[in-house]
Amino acid sequence: MTLLVATHIDKAFGGLAALSDVSLSVNSGEIFGLIGPNGAGKTTLFNVLTGLYTASGGQVCFDGQSLLVHKPHAIVHLGLARTFQNIRLFANMTALENVMVGRHCRTRTGVWGAITRSPRGCEEEAAMRKRAHALLDVVGIRTQAQALAKHLSYGDQRRLEIARALATEPKLLALDEPAAGMNPSERVALTQLLQRLRSELGVTLLLIEHDVKLVMGLCDRVAVLDYGKKIAEGAPAQVRTDPRVIAAYLGGAVA
Amino acid sequence: MASFGLLWSRLKNDRRAAWIALVALGVVLAVLPLLVDVGLGRAWVRVLNFTLLYVMLALGLNIVVGYAGLLDLGYIAFYAVGAYVYALLSSPHFGLHLPFWVTLPLGALVAAFFGVLLGAPTLRLRGDYLAIVTLGFGEIIRIFLNNLNAPVNITNGPQGVNLIDPLRIGEFSLNQTQVLLGMTFTGGTLLYYVFLALTLLTIFVCLRLQDSRIGRAWIAIREDEVAAAAMGINTRNIKLLAFAMGASFAGLSGGLFAGFQGFVSPESFNLLESIMILCMIVLGGMGNLPGVILGAVLLTVLPEALRYIGELERVLFGRVLVEPSDLRMLIFGLALVAMMILRPEGLLPSKRRAREFNADDSVLEQERASVYDASK
Repeated sequence: MTLLVATHIDKAFGGLAALSDVSLSVNSGEIFGLIGPNGAGKTTLFNVLTGLYTASGGQVCFDGQSLLVHKPHAIVHLGLARTFQNIRLFANMTALENVMVGRHCRTRTGVWGAITRSPRGCEEEAAMRKRAHALLDVVGIRTQAQALAKHLSYGDQRRLEIARALATEPKLLALDEPAAGMNPSERVALTQLLQRLRSELGVTLLLIEHDVKLVMGLCDRVAVLDYGKKIAEGAPAQVRTDPRVIAAYLGGAVA
Repeated sequence: MASFGLLWSRLKNDRRAAWIALVALGVVLAVLPLLVDVGLGRAWVRVLNFTLLYVMLALGLNIVVGYAGLLDLGYIAFYAVGAYVYALLSSPHFGLHLPFWVTLPLGALVAAFFGVLLGAPTLRLRGDYLAIVTLGFGEIIRIFLNNLNAPVNITNGPQGVNLIDPLRIGEFSLNQTQVLLGMTFTGGTLLYYVFLALTLLTIFVCLRLQDSRIGRAWIAIREDEVAAAAMGINTRNIKLLAFAMGASFAGLSGGLFAGFQGFVSPESFNLLESIMILCMIVLGGMGNLPGVILGAVLLTVLPEALRYIGELERVLFGRVLVEPSDLRMLIFGLALVAMMILRPEGLLPSKRRAREFNADDSVLEQERASVYDASK
């Protein structure tokens, strides 16, 4: 079953076509990789999908709903959460609070409930806290719950971002270069974590990644972007041998 | 400060000590106006009442600036709105004499509405740009109040609204001296208790909100608005909520001000007032309730206390060398500059803020290390 279908996405910044006619579809339960050289438009595509940018043209359909009319927070509500390439945590909040913020869109307590500490509000708050702890445990930073996000190590910050995004109960989790800046052993741990997310939480993953080895080992299918166009799509092994992909990465005469 | 911190942690850990401290604080607050009335005179009871009004204002602005991180330089406009709602609905100006339990909440509501009205067009702005627009908004409200006496006289223009009803329950006026239970309370003292009750209410509301889903959403927006939106927070609504909540506190405070003074005019609501309230929360410690309260108290009481400098000069030099009013502002300015250099995070900063301002916090590193150890 396809979860996310993007068709003929265009995105231009002034005269620069950052994305032109990009189409891709992500199936429920798969790990889909998006690769391409620097400046190929991967993050732009992410921003279009998650509502931070409005596309100049095209359609995005997620779980039967069109996404392009929605604001970012509404898209999260539909079940598409993301992380950022340059980590964007709430730096001066604790790890636990960061994850609790992620629960915001799945909880309802308003001003009145908060002031009166209504039984329902208290219950919700307790459940939120419990769930946040559990998610910190899932990504393996349970002991850091009370540390400020900015005091976490780089790898842990990446993990915290994943935990925070998971807190929104996504069907599809979009990860923008989750392994950037990680050392080899951290990468291995991250790969295992992502595989566990799929098998245990049933989350579909869409990830941008530079590390070819990681992508090849992890992803079921891969799409390659270059200069805002999709130049290849398919199983990792097949994509790897595609002459256009090789040309995009290594340079070559193929246009 | 260190001993204060020690005391604080003691109170936090020891429930009984905390209760004793709370009761002691309650007793002090209860007898304070009586003592001040006897010891320092009625003028100081007035100062006390103004202090409470400013505490409310500072707490409201703290929601907007301290929590949600939206720099608002026109905050006094909401105070004005609350004051004028009260003034117009219970004074001879329109011949309306609604009771305060109608006009005060109504003032808060109308102010909240104006908060949303200001918030809506500024949602996309941040930092300096937001400050400029809010500053303009504050001035617009003041100028409107100044000029809405023609063609239809609504606000009575620069003359202001006079003879505003005091807070009263039936025939029992809280502005006059009354004898209750064999004790004589001067008008200011009675009002003090009303103000105190409402101030405590606002503190309670702030306390409850700051550790709630809403409070976290405010802080998340302050920290990173894009990330907050990407986490499913409806930033538009949550920001408008911050504006509305902050404005409603100011509206309430403004209503009390009108009933207390018996007179309002546009000149009470100038830019300097907005800046003063901002100073209170910056000086006290943005985002931290005890800090904000301390800042409001200091900046209301100190300028009054500095009036006595004239007498001090006379004692020291035999005559007044520098006008106390000039010197007051000078000392005040110096104090603020000194604060910014020595303690930019405020007198009693929230833990969060203190960390923000102290990049090199070795203590925290140690804390972290101990967490690691504990996990092993």
